[in-house]
Amino acid sequence: MARFDYVRAHSIAEALQLLGEAGLISRPLAGGTDVMVFVRNEKPPFDRLVDISRVPEMKIIERRGDEVFIGAAVTFTEAEQNALLREVAGCLAEACRSVGGPAVRNAGTLGGNVANAAACADSLPALACLDAVAHVRSLTGERSFLLNELIQGANRTAIRPGELLTHFTFPVPPAGVRSAFLKLGRRNAQAISRLSMAAAGRLDAAGRVDYARLAPGAAMPRPQRFTEVEALLLGQAPTDELLAAAGAKTAEVMIGVTGRRWSTEYKEIAIQAMAEQTLRRVLCQ
Amino acid sequence: MLIEFTLNYQPIAIEAPPDVTLLHLLRDHLNLTGAKEGCSVGECGACSVIMDGRLVNSCLVLAPQAHGSEIITIEGIHAPDGGPNDLQENFITYGAVQCGICIPGMVVAGEALLMRTLTPTRTEIRTALAGNLCRCTGYQQIVDAIEATAVQRRQAS
Amino acid sequence: MTELQYIGKPARRVDALEKVMGKAKYIADRKLPGMLHARCLRSEAPHALIKKLDVTPALAVPGVRAVITSEDFFEHSLFGFPVKDEYVLAYRKVRYVGEAIAAVAADTPEAALAGVQAIVCELEPLPGVFDMEHALDPDAAQVGPDRPDDQHPNFLDLLIVRQADPLAEIEQCAVKLDERYSVGPQEHAYIEPEGALAVPTREGGVLVYAPNQSPFVNYGVLAMVLDLPHNLVRVIQPPVGGSFGGKDDQIYQMSAQVAKLALLTGKPVRLVYSREESLISSYKRDPMHIRIRLGADSDGTLRAVKFEGLMDSGAYASESTFTAWRGSIHAMGAYRYNACAVDIKCVYTNNGYYGAFRGFGNTEVCAGIEQAIDELACAVGMDPLDFRLKNCLHVGDRTAHGQILTESVGLPDCIKTVRRLSDWDRKRAAYANQTGNIRRGIGVAALYHGTSLGAEGADYAGSTIAVEQNYSIDLTSGLTDYGTGSRTVFTLIAAEELGVSPDRIHMQRPDTDTAIESGPTVASRSTMLGGNAARVAADNLRQTLDYAAADLLGCELHQLVRSGEAYVGPDEEPVAWERVVDHAREMGLALSAHGKWTAPRIEWDHHHGTGTPYMAYHFASQVAEVEVDMRTGVVQVVNFWAVHDPGKVIFPQGAYGQVYGGVAQGLGYALMEQITYTNGYLQETNFESYLIPTSVDVPEITAQFVEAPFSKGPYGAKNIAEPSMVPAAPAILNAIYHATGKRVRDLPANLERVLLGHDLAKGGSAKACKLGLKT
Repeated sequence: MARFDYVRAHSIAEALQLLGEAGLISRPLAGGTDVMVFVRNEKPPFDRLVDISRVPEMKIIERRGDEVFIGAAVTFTEAEQNALLREVAGCLAEACRSVGGPAVRNAGTLGGNVANAAACADSLPALACLDAVAHVRSLTGERSFLLNELIQGANRTAIRPGELLTHFTFPVPPAGVRSAFLKLGRRNAQAISRLSMAAAGRLDAAGRVDYARLAPGAAMPRPQRFTEVEALLLGQAPTDELLAAAGAKTAEVMIGVTGRRWSTEYKEIAIQAMAEQTLRRVLCQ
Repeated sequence: MLIEFTLNYQPIAIEAPPDVTLLHLLRDHLNLTGAKEGCSVGECGACSVIMDGRLVNSCLVLAPQAHGSEIITIEGIHAPDGGPNDLQENFITYGAVQCGICIPGMVVAGEALLMRTLTPTRTEIRTALAGNLCRCTGYQQIVDAIEATAVQRRQAS
Repeated sequence: MTELQYIGKPARRVDALEKVMGKAKYIADRKLPGMLHARCLRSEAPHALIKKLDVTPALAVPGVRAVITSEDFFEHSLFGFPVKDEYVLAYRKVRYVGEAIAAVAADTPEAALAGVQAIVCELEPLPGVFDMEHALDPDAAQVGPDRPDDQHPNFLDLLIVRQADPLAEIEQCAVKLDERYSVGPQEHAYIEPEGALAVPTREGGVLVYAPNQSPFVNYGVLAMVLDLPHNLVRVIQPPVGGSFGGKDDQIYQMSAQVAKLALLTGKPVRLVYSREESLISSYKRDPMHIRIRLGADSDGTLRAVKFEGLMDSGAYASESTFTAWRGSIHAMGAYRYNACAVDIKCVYTNNGYYGAFRGFGNTEVCAGIEQAIDELACAVGMDPLDFRLKNCLHVGDRTAHGQILTESVGLPDCIKTVRRLSDWDRKRAAYANQTGNIRRGIGVAALYHGTSLGAEGADYAGSTIAVEQNYSIDLTSGLTDYGTGSRTVFTLIAAEELGVSPDRIHMQRPDTDTAIESGPTVASRSTMLGGNAARVAADNLRQTLDYAAADLLGCELHQLVRSGEAYVGPDEEPVAWERVVDHAREMGLALSAHGKWTAPRIEWDHHHGTGTPYMAYHFASQVAEVEVDMRTGVVQVVNFWAVHDPGKVIFPQGAYGQVYGGVAQGLGYALMEQITYTNGYLQETNFESYLIPTSVDVPEITAQFVEAPFSKGPYGAKNIAEPSMVPAAPAILNAIYHATGKRVRDLPANLERVLLGHDLAKGGSAKACKLGLKT
C-alpha cells in the first residue's frame, strides 16, 4: 500500500483547494529535493502530496512596478539564469548557482528552500539581504512575512497546514546598487554551507557608502540582516580598515545571537573574512 | 495510478503506486536498469535522467511527477543503429570508464550539457558534472570525452 | 625484442561498451523469477551480549519465507582470514553498530523489513572501547577474542622492521625530528553499494553472484560456513561497481547469508545494501596514530628513522594484520638509512571495523613519513625535493629491510621529472614570502610500493585460454577486474603473445567453475601475477599453433614469421590464422592451455623484522600546488603532477585513469573525507555528510610514466592501482605548509584544522545510525 497519495495542481486556486481539503493531511511538493529525502528516512507526516511544481503562476519572475515578483516554484536554475535577477539581485542569482549540483538546481525551488527552512539554506541570506517578503495564501486569505518572521527556527516556519507559499516580492534596489553572495563549504559542489554571506551596497559620488545590506547564512537560527554592520558602513569610505571593522562587527553580532557554540571558534574568524570579501566585491570592484 | 509520459521518444502509460520514485519506476516497473541507485538522496547522480530537457536525479522525482513529461534515460542514448553514439564512443576512446557504475549518469549529464551548448570550456564541463560522483576516474578522462564530443559536434554542425 | 603491437598502445577497454550503453548488469540490476529479497537485523549497540534472539515472530509476517541466525551455519558461521574472529551473523555478542545478527528472506523488500522488525532481539549493553589509545588498558572491556597467551585480548598484532639502533644513531645526528601525526578512517565510497544474489542448484548446492574482490576466497568461505563440499558451491563475478579493497569480507558475509536463505527456501535470494547500510556496516580504512623520529647530518644525509604506529582494527581483524605489515614495510619511505626501527601495533575497539583499502597500510604511513621527511628537510635547510633526491633509493641500494635493489628503480627519474613538469624551483621560490589572505604553496611526496603480496603468502595466479569454434579466443583469470582494467591488460598481453587482434579475445569474468584459483585480488597484483599467468597460458597456446603452422607450411619453427595475425613460412605466402587453427584441429591438437605463474620465493622474518618483503617496487613522486584562504581555511588544489614508475605500461588509458582516480582519492583523504564514530555510532551515514571529491574539487592532473622495466613482470610491468593514491595526501599537506607556514599533522586537513590548527568536535549521537538502519 502506498504510504501517501499524489495529486497535481494546475493553478494556485486548485492547489489551495487540494491543500485545504478536509479529512486528510496534504502538503505541497515542488522539486522534491527535501521532501523525497525526508520521506526516505521518516514516516511521512502527511497523507498526500500536492504537486505545485508546474503551476504557471508560481513559475513567474518579473518586475511589477518597483518590485520584483518571483514565484515560489521557480527552480534554482531558472532563477540563476534569469536576466532580471542577474541584473537587480546578483546575490540571489549567485546563491542559486551555489546550491547543490546541476540536477538539484534543476529540480529544487526557491519556495521549497525557504519553506524547508534549513539554517544553511543558500537562498535565505540572499532573500533577507533583498528585504524579500514571502507571500502565503490559503482558502481564507493571504499573509505576508519578512523572511525572519516567516522562519522561526531550524526547519520551522509560520506556514500553517492548508497554506501555500506562493511567491516572493522584494523592492527593486536603487540604481547603482550591487549585490553579491559567497558560500563556504567543505567542497566546491554538492556542499552544505558552513557559512554564506549576501551583501549589497553602493557608493555615492564622494566615494562613501550610501547603501549597505548584509545578511549571513548558516550562522543564525533564522535569516536576518545585520543592521548594526550596515549602520557602521553608511557614510564611510570603504577602506580596508572599515571593511575589517565591518567583519569584526559581523562576528560580534553573530555571537551575540547564537552565543558561543562548538563551531564558534571557527566561524568567528571565517565570518569576518566572508563579510569583508563580500562587501569588498560590492563596494570596491 | 496511471502515469503517462514520453520515455526515450516513445509514449508510455504505466500503472504504478503514487509513492514510488521515478528511479524505481524505471528500474522495477519498466526494467530499465541503466540508471543506478547509489545514495537515494540526490547526492551521487548515478540515477541521472533528462526530464523535459534538464538533468535531474530520478531518485528525487516522484514517479507521478513524470506524468506528461519527456524523459530520456541512458537506454535512449545511442546511435541510430543502436550502437554507441559519438559521446559514448569517446568515453571508450578516452578511457573514461573504469568500474562503470557512474557512467550512465555521466553520459546522461554529458548529453544534457551538450544539448545546451557545443562550446563548453573544461571548467563548464566540470561544473555540469558536479552532481555526479565518480570514485574511480578522477573525472579527467570523462571531461576529455565530453570536450572531444563537443568539438566534433561543433565541426559537424 | 620485436616491436610490440598491442602492449603500450591505445586500446579499448573490454567492458567499456556495455557500460557506456547502460547495459552492464550489476548485482542490483539482476532479477530472477521468484527471487526473494533479503535484509539483515543489525545491532544498534556498539558492544553487547545477545541475551535473547527469537526469530519466530518474523516467520509469521506475511511474505517472510525464512529467517537465519548464526545457529544455521557451521561453527556458528565463524570465518576470517588471516585471523578467524568474524561471524557471518553475530554469535553471542555484537561488537559494532551495524553488525548483522539475523537475516530475513521475503517476497518483497517491504516484507523483509517487516520481518526484521518482528524479530525479538534483546541486547545487554557491555562497556565499549572507543579510544584505541586505551584499548590495551588493563581495565579495558574485552572486544577481541580470548587469547592463548598472556597478551591483552584487545591486542591484535605487532609488526616490526629492525636495522641497527636508530635512537643511538639519531643521538649523533646534527638535525633531529620527533613529531606525531594521525590519519583518520576512510570510506571506500564505491558508488555501487554491496550486494549478493544466491541461486539454489538442483544438486543441493548454491550458485552465488557477488561483486567480490576475490571469488575464490568467497567460494572457500561459503563451502566452510555452509558445510558444503566445494563442488556444490559456485561463485560467478558480475561487473563490480568499484571496490578499492572494500568488497572483501563484507561481501563474503552477505554471500553466505543469501546462500543459506536460498538453500532453505529453494528460491533465488538477493541482498542489496542501501547507502546507509553500506556506510554503517562495512569496514573502512584504519585510522593510525603515528610518532616519527628522524635524524640527518647537517649536509642533509638521512641517517636513521624510528616509526611507531598504533592502528585501530575496530571490532574484527579483517585484513588489518596485512595492512599493518604492509604499513610497517613502507613506513620509513623510499630512502637509505643506516638504522631503522618500525613498530606498528593494531588493537581491537568498538569503532565499526577496519579492513583493506587501496594502499593497504602504505597510504596511512606515507601520510606520516612524507610529512616528516619534509619537516626534516626544512630543519636541515634544504629544498625538500633536493633532500629526497639526495637520500632516495637507487639501483644497487640496500633498503631498510636489508634488501638489495638490483633493478627497476625509477625513483630518481620520477623526482627529476616531476620537478621539471611542475616548474618546482620557480614556484618554490615565488611562493616563499607571501603575505596576502590567499596564498599558494607547492609540495612534494615520494613513494615506493611493493608489488603484489610479497612475503605475506604464496603468490601465484592462473589463467586458461582456448580457441573457440568461431575462431574467437576465451581467456579466463582467477583475478577480478573491479574497475581497474585488468581484464583489458590480460587481453592485451594474450593478444601480444599470440599475435592476434585483441578483438578476438573474450576475457571472461571469474567463475569458480571455469577459472583457476589465483589468490585474492588485492595489493596491486593483477598486472604482474594475472598478467604473467595470461602470458604463460597464451604462450603455451601459441607454441601449439606455431607447431601446427610449421607443419602446414612445411618448415622449421624458427623459419616462421608473422605478418599481422597471419603466419608466413619460407615461401613468403601468408597463411591466415584461421587456417592454422583448422590445421591444428586436423592434426588433433588441443587448442586450449593453462598458464600458471608463481612469484619468486622471498622471505620475511617477522621476529627479527628483516628480509626481502617484495620482489619489486613501484616508485613515484607527486607534486601538489594549492591555494589556501588564510582566513577561512579553504584549500583548493589548483595543480597536480604525478610521475610514476609502474614498469612497462600495458594499457595506457587504463594506467592514466588509475593515476587520475588515485590522486582524486588521495585528495579526498587529505582534505575532506572524515569518518566520525561517537561512542561507536557512525555520524556520516550517506553522501551528504561523507564527502568525496566532485569534478570541481579535482584539478587537471598531469601524469607521466617513467618505465623502469622489471625483468619478471609481464613485458616489464609492475603495478599501478594502489601507488597512484598513496603519495597524494602528503604532497597536498606539504603544499599547505608551504603556503601557510603551519603544519597540519592530522588528516583530513579540514577547514578547522587548516584555520585553527585543530579540529572542532561537534559531538554526535546515535540518531543517524538508528535512522539509517531502518531506511
